Amino acid sequence: MLFPSCRPPSLLVRQLCRAFHDRRWPGWQVVIGIETHAQIKSRQKLFSDSLTSSLGEAPNIHVSPFDASFPGTLPKLNQDCVDLALRTAIALDSGVQTRSSFDRKHYFYSDLPSGYQITQHYAPIALGGHLYIPNRDSPIRIKQIQLEQDTAKSTFDPRTRTSNIDLNRAGTGLLEIVTEPDLRSPEEAGAYVRALQAMLRAIGASDGNMEAGSLRCDVNVSINSPGKPPGTRCEIKNLNSIKFMQTAIVYEVNRQRALLSKEDGVVPQETRGFNQDTLETFKMRSKEEAPDYRYMPDPNLGFLLVASERINNIVQTMPELPWVTRVRLVQEYELSEQDADILLNLDNGREDGDSALAYFDRLCKEGRKPRVVFNWMVHELLGRLHATRLTFADNPFSTSQLGELIDLVHSGAITGTSGKLLLREMLADPSSPQTPTERARSLSLLITSRGELDIGDLCGAAIAALPSEAAAFRNGHKNVLNKILGWVMKESRGRADSKQARERLISLLEESGE
Amino acid sequence: MRVGVNVTRRWISSWRHSIREKDSSVNAFVSTSQPAPSGPQNLPLRDVAIAVKDMICTSDMPTSSSSAMLKDFISPFDATVVALLRNAGADIVGKVNCDEFGMGSLNTHSVHGPVVNPFQPASSSIPWAEREKRSAGGSSGGSAAAVAAGMCYAALSTDTGGSTRLPASYCGVVGLKPSYGLISRWGVISFADSLDCVGVMAQDVSATKRVFNILNAHDTKDPTSASPAARQLASSEAARAWPALALKNLRIGIPHEYFPSELSAEVLTPVRAAIQALKSRGATIVPVSLPSTPYALSAYYVLSSAEASSNMARYDGVQYGLHVPLPPGSDLTNSASMYARTRSVGFGAEVQKRILLGTYALTADAFDNYFLQAQRIRALVREDFNRVFRVRDVLASSSSSSPNTSTDADPEGVDVLLHPSAIRTAPPLELDPDAMPGDALQSYVQDVLTVPASLAGLPALTVPLRNDLTGKGEGEGGEWPVGVSVVGQWGCDEVVLRVGEFLEEINN
Repeated sequence: MLFPSCRPPSLLVRQLCRAFHDRRWPGWQVVIGIETHAQIKSRQKLFSDSLTSSLGEAPNIHVSPFDASFPGTLPKLNQDCVDLALRTAIALDSGVQTRSSFDRKHYFYSDLPSGYQITQHYAPIALGGHLYIPNRDSPIRIKQIQLEQDTAKSTFDPRTRTSNIDLNRAGTGLLEIVTEPDLRSPEEAGAYVRALQAMLRAIGASDGNMEAGSLRCDVNVSINSPGKPPGTRCEIKNLNSIKFMQTAIVYEVNRQRALLSKEDGVVPQETRGFNQDTLETFKMRSKEEAPDYRYMPDPNLGFLLVASERINNIVQTMPELPWVTRVRLVQEYELSEQDADILLNLDNGREDGDSALAYFDRLCKEGRKPRVVFNWMVHELLGRLHATRLTFADNPFSTSQLGELIDLVHSGAITGTSGKLLLREMLADPSSPQTPTERARSLSLLITSRGELDIGDLCGAAIAALPSEAAAFRNGHKNVLNKILGWVMKESRGRADSKQARERLISLLEESGE
Repeated sequence: MRVGVNVTRRWISSWRHSIREKDSSVNAFVSTSQPAPSGPQNLPLRDVAIAVKDMICTSDMPTSSSSAMLKDFISPFDATVVALLRNAGADIVGKVNCDEFGMGSLNTHSVHGPVVNPFQPASSSIPWAEREKRSAGGSSGGSAAAVAAGMCYAALSTDTGGSTRLPASYCGVVGLKPSYGLISRWGVISFADSLDCVGVMAQDVSATKRVFNILNAHDTKDPTSASPAARQLASSEAARAWPALALKNLRIGIPHEYFPSELSAEVLTPVRAAIQALKSRGATIVPVSLPSTPYALSAYYVLSSAEASSNMARYDGVQYGLHVPLPPGSDLTNSASMYARTRSVGFGAEVQKRILLGTYALTADAFDNYFLQAQRIRALVREDFNRVFRVRDVLASSSSSSPNTSTDADPEGVDVLLHPSAIRTAPPLELDPDAMPGDALQSYVQDVLTVPASLAGLPALTVPLRNDLTGKGEGEGGEWPVGVSVVGQWGCDEVVLRVGEFLEEINN
């Protein structure tokens, strides 16, 4: 059983439990569909040649007359955005439409200077498709993918009682990716968004960064009794983190349960918002108040025709998809599935497009053992970075620097403990021109065969001289260490630092015992 | 001003002189530019004075579209057509009046006031300023009047459903609405994008052609600009069908639907005479039928109003143009009231009417019955034309998947269609626009003969007929100008202009 915590006292309940396994809302099936808006990672906007912007830039610096909807301006479709939409469609196994078109969706709002958003209402660029998520056999079906414009950003200053409009975002390309109502729990919803994010990042279609607003979700939630038709859905708009999305779904399920538990209770179809402070959803408008968007085919843009050669070309130049990478990491590199996922989910927001995965691949390609590389890169380097609240994006080392360090340890030139010490020193002064080897030398970490006192040599000799004590230590008799340490102190004629020697001995013993 | 300017720019001065002399009683110009020094000698339109409709953007003069909404609006850029004219050495003398956002047939719906038709019968002894006041037609009334009064060599107009041909016909000048997509619309304020064309007006066909040739170029900034390949294909097909460009090989179709009962005798008589004259000089006259014509006007008003309602949405008082603040104490939390206030003040009655009509046509409940039906009629209108023309429609066949489409010209087909440009001569102009002759519907009927070519995107040229040819003695108004329209297959603008020259020859 999937959920062993559900303990059935009778056959009937057991069957119910199997169908509606969620202890949080026994007897209810939760049905969720998600509409995702992902900002397309193109240099220029969808219909104008102004540059796209990133969070934190000065307002209104990336604005052309078209973006501000000046009279006489006309749209010009950016084919780079189309290519990224096609990549996304192919990644999701969605059917690319050889002929799609654009429509205007009308409403008045200050963040929409033209009074309409250009979208693909009647004929989207791709239909169908699916995405697999962890811990579920059947895929999440994709309904459609459409290209559309992002709006401007309007913010209200309560102090001056004015609205400020920033047109930097106006007209940036968005991919709207719509699922069928296939998701059954907040956890599945979260897993879907994570899988989508990973895919969009891997193919370079979007940063997929919910905190920065480059990925936003609208979630449709309904509940129904077992075997009954789907309930009335409510749409929760503009959720900007996976955590908030899951919290909103839980709140919404409970709210709908409470409504339905009343006699003759019904769930009214509504569009709802999510309050991040109270963690509650709230009513924005009822079905009756829903605006009529007066969709009209855009008279300027005509048909978007996609030739089969173009699709073939994109298929051939498609970057590796995350689920393919995962299989490669597990089968080829022999990483555990857990380690593979860690690597795949590492922040890859580096501007130069150098993802953690590419970094890892480069280190492994030079003949290093993938598991050793993983340990150094994730446990040591990333662990140190996290300790100072940095992410992998802040990694100051080139692959040749980290690779040299790994090689020093692996060749026995320095011990593992020295390697960790070296890494700490390098992180403390990343701009130093010294190579890792030069730095290890200046820190006296190199194991040398010269007459000079070398703790590493001495400890190695001690272990070689006392093999049964070494074995006993490895078998858990930690007290034996004192005897080996005594040998070192005696041989060094007291010159060795006993604390340093003890550490070195432990690291050598543990290392050689692996 | 430097003395030398007047000496070296003699012709410019004569046009600019006419503006100063005559425009106060015509009201064609809404702004005029400062004379600029001449460009290099070899420029094709060096020092030629050209007036530009106020819906076409200029960075040196306001572009108001005759709307209070854009009264003081100055565009940050020149429209492509304006840039092409400037590069060719033309002197953009000023911006000319029109109906607000191009919506109207009489040029009475303008924040700048109505345009007065400058026509004066040669025999008239009445002083110029006291001549009979008639409408210049619309929406490009200022363009037509400026040409007719000699205030410019040529004028740019726009044409969505007849806005070039109707005023040209009323004012007695040549007006060309080229094939849709030949002239760039970048910088042309949209009324209904799928129908809007830039038009050219001048005193004769050769001047019209001279300006058209400068403007007829592909523009990457206009997504509806016809590709160089489509242009090339259409002109080679046209040349194959009618290689000699001579009257004796010309097949002229006369569509009987374009001679409705409302057609006045003062129009019918000279048009018949012109057809007769062409026939006697060797052209073959073929009666044809375009059966979808009666539905075209309704389809046009649904589609153009729907697109207009969408295009007018940007005028909300936020980014540019008029902003009318709410009265003190208003509820500021409802942003809709802010938009409503600015739009109620900024748009004139005709524009508001069309926005409401178009908004309704696009609502979810009405869309299928109005917008989609109108689109179907539009396709039928286009098929009607394709059936009668000798030359095939290169746009339709290039996008159709049928490989068997014959590329051979239909020998039974016609090269052009000929019909009156308007059902009457210029109507009298009352100073109160609300007291214009007939109700609103009647002013829409003005467009009945011009909208089919707009719906089909075809080139259409109106040429004035000599009204003393046969029109004399037909009663009041018999001497007012009458235009005849020549309509050709898409991309056959050369053919249409050539036939226009034949019509001028019979005038002489």
